Amino acid sequence: MFVCHCGKNIAGTVDVARVSEALARHPGVVYATHHEYMCSEPGQELLRRAIREHRLTGAVVAACSPSMHETTFRRAAASAGLNPYLVEIANIREQCSWVHEGPAATDKAIRVARTMVEKVKGNHPLTPVEVGHAEKCLVVGGGIAGIQAALDVADAGFEVLLVEKSPTIGGRMAQLSETFPTLDCSQCILTPKMVEAAHHPRIRLLTYSEVEEVSGFIGNYHVRIRKKPTYVNPDRCNLCGECAKVCPIRVPSEFDCGLSERAAIYIPFPQAVPSSYTLDEGSCLGLVPLRCGECAKVCEPRAIDFDMHEELLEEDVGAIILATGYELYPKEAMAEYGHGTVPDVIDGLQFERILSASGPTRGEVRRPSDGRVPKEVVFIQCSGSRDPELHKPYCSKICCMYTAKHALLFRHAVPDGKAYVFYIDIRAGGKGYEEFVNRAMEEEGILYLRGKVAKVFRDGDKVMVWGVDTLTGKRVEVAADLVVLAQAVVPTTGAPELARKLRAAVDAHGFLQEAHPKLRPLEALTGGIFLAGAAHAPKDIPEAVAQGSGAAAKAVAILSAPVLTHSPEVAEVDEALCSGCRICAPQCPYTAITVDEVAHVNEILCEGCGTCVAACPSGAMTMRNLSDVQVQSMIRAALSEVPEPAEVKGG
Amino acid sequence: MAEAGFEPRIVAFLCRWCAGAGADLAGTSRLQYPPNAIPIRVNCSGRVEPSWVVDALRSGADGVLIGGCHPGDCHYMVGNYKARRRVYLLRKVLEELGVEPERVRLEWVSATEGARFARVMTEFVEELRRLGPLQGNGQG
Amino acid sequence: MTEKLEGMSPRSQENSPRTSDLSPVTHHPSLKLAVYWTGSCGGCDVSFLELGAALLDVLSKVEIVFWPALVDAKRADVEALPAGAIDVALINGTLRTEENREMAELLREKSKLIVAYGACAHLGGIPGLANLSQREEILAAVFGDGFRPTPPPGGSPEDAPPELLAAALPLSAAVRVDYVVPGCPPPPGLISRTFDALLGELPPTGHVFASEKALCEECPRTKEDRRLTKVVRPHELLPDPEKCLLDQGMICLGPVTRGGCDAACPKAGMPCTGCLGPTPNAGDQGLAMLSALASLVRAGEEGEAAFASEDKVLDAIVDPVGTFHKYALPATWKVPSSLRGGGSGRGGRP
Repeated sequence: MFVCHCGKNIAGTVDVARVSEALARHPGVVYATHHEYMCSEPGQELLRRAIREHRLTGAVVAACSPSMHETTFRRAAASAGLNPYLVEIANIREQCSWVHEGPAATDKAIRVARTMVEKVKGNHPLTPVEVGHAEKCLVVGGGIAGIQAALDVADAGFEVLLVEKSPTIGGRMAQLSETFPTLDCSQCILTPKMVEAAHHPRIRLLTYSEVEEVSGFIGNYHVRIRKKPTYVNPDRCNLCGECAKVCPIRVPSEFDCGLSERAAIYIPFPQAVPSSYTLDEGSCLGLVPLRCGECAKVCEPRAIDFDMHEELLEEDVGAIILATGYELYPKEAMAEYGHGTVPDVIDGLQFERILSASGPTRGEVRRPSDGRVPKEVVFIQCSGSRDPELHKPYCSKICCMYTAKHALLFRHAVPDGKAYVFYIDIRAGGKGYEEFVNRAMEEEGILYLRGKVAKVFRDGDKVMVWGVDTLTGKRVEVAADLVVLAQAVVPTTGAPELARKLRAAVDAHGFLQEAHPKLRPLEALTGGIFLAGAAHAPKDIPEAVAQGSGAAAKAVAILSAPVLTHSPEVAEVDEALCSGCRICAPQCPYTAITVDEVAHVNEILCEGCGTCVAACPSGAMTMRNLSDVQVQSMIRAALSEVPEPAEVKGG
Repeated sequence: MAEAGFEPRIVAFLCRWCAGAGADLAGTSRLQYPPNAIPIRVNCSGRVEPSWVVDALRSGADGVLIGGCHPGDCHYMVGNYKARRRVYLLRKVLEELGVEPERVRLEWVSATEGARFARVMTEFVEELRRLGPLQGNGQG
Repeated sequence: MTEKLEGMSPRSQENSPRTSDLSPVTHHPSLKLAVYWTGSCGGCDVSFLELGAALLDVLSKVEIVFWPALVDAKRADVEALPAGAIDVALINGTLRTEENREMAELLREKSKLIVAYGACAHLGGIPGLANLSQREEILAAVFGDGFRPTPPPGGSPEDAPPELLAAALPLSAAVRVDYVVPGCPPPPGLISRTFDALLGELPPTGHVFASEKALCEECPRTKEDRRLTKVVRPHELLPDPEKCLLDQGMICLGPVTRGGCDAACPKAGMPCTGCLGPTPNAGDQGLAMLSALASLVRAGEEGEAAFASEDKVLDAIVDPVGTFHKYALPATWKVPSSLRGGGSGRGGRP
C-alpha cells in the first residue's frame, strides 16, 4: 500500500499517515507507506524496491485518478517483476482530497484504498492477448470512397482486394455530370483514379463480384467472393463494339438510369474499368450459339467465351472496408409526385445523366417524354427526406447542393429557361457551398420558393406543380415541362444484408452503424471492419474521399502491426457452468460472443464492458479482474467501519 | 424519518468513461460535495449487477448510486440502456420488499459534467438524510 | 451454511464425509433413515411414491427410524436415541416455528447426515414469501390482535402451539446441512440419484443432487430470437411447441435454475419457476434472472425514444418478487421488510 501526498494536493486534506497506518492493519496488507510524490522517480523506486524486498503479490497506489498514472505504476511494477494487472490505483485526489474536507476526507480515503486492496486480492496476473493477422485488405464497393480507400491501403504497401458488384468501378460519381461547387467534370477527375486503381500492382480488382460469406474476426477474416462470369475475356476485348450492334436485345441502361437502352452485351460507359464488354446473362437470349450467338460471330478478337464459369475465391484478409454506397429512394414511392408514372418527373441522378456530355442526350437538356428542350423546370428538394410521416426522417445532405448545381447548369444550357426550386431549408455547410447557392439564387436568376410541393400531376404535355410559398403564404402553381425530384439518399439494396454477413450493425434506415457517433466514426462495432462513403450516411464526394482515406489509415494500423494486442481484462466463460442459454450473445455490441453448446468470448473483439456478465443468469460469464466475488468484498471494504487509530503509528 | 446527524453511507458504481470522468472533473474543478459515497469504478454501467446493489444495501449502505453515460453517449453504445432497465425492475422489487426505491439512483453524468456530478451527490445525500437509515441498519 | 453449500465446488473432495466412521453406512444392509417435515405442504413426503416400483427396492434397503407421515414414532423416541444413531435424515419444509427449529436441531444431533429435501428446506420455498410481511402482521391477519400461543383449555403448558419464528428460513439457517435434494417437490430422477448415493458412494459434503448447468441445457426448445418484446403470463398464451418460452414472452427461470428435472415444465408448455434453485455461480437466483430479463427487453431500437415502451414491457410483470423469488426469498432477504441482519452470509441466521 503506497499512499501519495501529491505535495499538498492530497496531504493538505487527507491525513496520509493515518491512511497508511489504517491500511497497514487491513487483512492481506504486508507493507504500507506514504511518499511525497509517488509518480516521481524516487516514488516509483520505492514501489519497485518494496515489490522486490517484500515479494509483493499485489500493490495499491492511493493517488490521483487512474486515468493519470495507472500506466506509470503498472509499468514500474512490471520492471520489478510484478505482473502489471496486480497493481491498482485508489483515487484519493480527484474523488476525495480535492472535493472533501476534514476528517471525513481521511475516512473516505481509507475506505477507497481498502476497496482497491480487496480488488487486488482477487486480481489474477494477466498478459495482453496477442494474435497474428493476415496482411491483406478487402474493400467492398468500387465507388470513389472504395477506390480512395483501396489506393491508400495499397500505397501503404498492402495487398487489396477491391470487390465491386457491377461490371465497372466508378460508382455514382461516374454517373455525375459536373460536381459542386467547382463545376469540374466528374468523370474527368474520377477516371484517372479508376485507372490508377486498375493498374496498381497491389490492388486486385474483382468487378462483377460479390462477397458471399465472411467468417473470422479482426485481423483474421476469411471471405468467400463470388465472381460472376462476364463471358468476355477482358484481355482480348478491344472495345470495338460490334457485338452490341448485332445483339438483338435492348434493355434499359442501368448507367443511364433507364433513360437509354443497352444491348445484352454492353459496356456501362466508354471509360469503364476494367475496359471490357460484359454479357449480361439475365437479358441474353441464351448462352449457346444455337439460340443466338450473334455477338460471338462478329467478335474478331474471339473475346466472347460462352463457357466461362463463375469463380469462387477464398481469401484471408486482416481488415475490411465497407464502401457500398447509396441509391436514391425510388420515385415510385412518391404518391404525391405521381408514383413515378409521369415520364417528365425524374430524379436527380437521371438529370445528372441528362446533363452529362456522355449521357443519353449528349449533354443537351431534353426531356424524356418527347425529347423537347424544357423551358420551365421545377426542382423539388427534400423529396422523401425530412418526412418522418410518409418517407425518411433524415436529411439527405447532398440535395441542396446538387439541386443548386442542377438549376444552374440548366440555366447555362437553356438560357431562356426558367428554373424553380422548392425547398424547406437550405443547408450549405461546406467549403464554398454557401457562396455557390447564393450564386444560383442571385446571379443565375433561379427562383427559390420556400415551401413544400403538395402535388405533381400530368396535364397534357405539361407537368402541373402545386405548391405553397410559405414566405408569402401564397399558393404557387407552375405548369412545368420537367420536374426533378431530389430523392432521399438510401443505402444500396443488399447492403444491409451484406452488413449482416459481416456482423456489422446497421441503423434503422439501413446505413452502417459506426462504433461511436463521435469518437469512432470510421469503425464498425465489429473490430477490423471500417466504413467509408455514403454506405454510412449521406455524404458528398469530398467527405466520402476523406472517410475512405481515414478508413484506409485505420485498416493499415491493423495490417502493419506485428501482432494485434488487446487488453486481457475481458469477459470469460466457465464452460462447465454455461448452459448455452444464449442470453449473453445479443447483449454484446461487438458480436464477440458466439454460442454453440456453450458460449465463447472472442478476446480480441471483447471490449470489456461487462454487460454480458451482468446479464448472464447462471454466473458462467465472468469479468477478468472484476468478478462478482471481488466486487462483493469491495462493497464490504467500502462500508465496514474504519477502526480507531492504533496507539503506535505504523509506517 | 430524519435523524439528527445521520450520515448516510453510499456506494457509487461509476462508469469509467462518463460518470467516473465527471467525478474526476468535479475534483479538478475543486467542487465540494459530501463525502458519503465510496466510488467503485466499473467499465460500464452495464456491468453493474442488481445483486451488487442489494449486496451493498445489506452490507450497510443506505443508498446506491449508479452513474453511467447519457443516452446515446455510452462508450459501449448500449450498456447504459441495459443498466436503466435493470434498475427500473430492481426498484420495483425493492419496493415490494419494503425498501424505498429512491435509495437506488441511476444518473447520467457525462465526462464534462463535473458540476452535475457534485450536484447529484449533494442531492442524493440530502434525499437519504430525509429517508433516514435503511430499516434494520444496525449502525455497525 | 447455505452460503457454504452454494459456494463449494461439489467436485472438491475436501471435507468429504466419506471417512471411516461412515463406511458402515455403505456396507450395512439397512440404512437407518428418518424423514421429517417442518413447515411443509406434504408434497415432499408424497414425492417418494413417484419412484414407482423402484421404491420397493429402496424400502428393502432402509430401516425407517422416524417418519411421522408413515410410521408411529414420537419426538420422545428420537430423543431417546444416542447421538448419530440415524444414518440419514431427510428434512423437508421451511423453518417457521420454534418447534421446527428444535426438531431440526434434534435430528442434526441424532443423524450422521442431514439432507435438505425439497425447495422449502433448501431455500425457504414458497412459504418463504411470507417474509414479505412482518411476523406480527401475519399473526394479526390470521388470529386478530392479541394472539398469544397458549395451551388449549385443560392442556399442559407444552401443549401450547409453538412460537412463530421472526421469519421463514431455510434448513441451513438452523443446522449444518450435508446434502441438498432440490425441487418442489424433488423430481423422481433426483430422488433415485439421492438414494443411489446414500446407499452407495457418497458425494462430497455440500453436494446438490441436481445439474451444475442451467435447465436450458436439457430443454429441447429452440433459442433464437433472444429479445423480450412482451411479457405474457402462462394462461394468456398457447405457446409454440418448438420455441423457447422466454422468446415467446413467458418468464421462464430456466436460464438461472439448475437442471436435473429434464426440463419437465418447459416441455409441457409451462415456464420454469425456479424450484431447483440457482446454479452454483448464479448468486441470488431472483436478482440474476431479473438482470438477464431486463437485459433482453426490447421495444424497437434501444435508445431514449424506447424508454417508455421498454418500461411498459417490464410493467407487465405482475408481482416481480413472487416471480423472481418464488422459492428463494428467505435465502435472499434475512429479516422481513429489511435487508439487514447480523452476519454476512445470505443464509440468514435468525
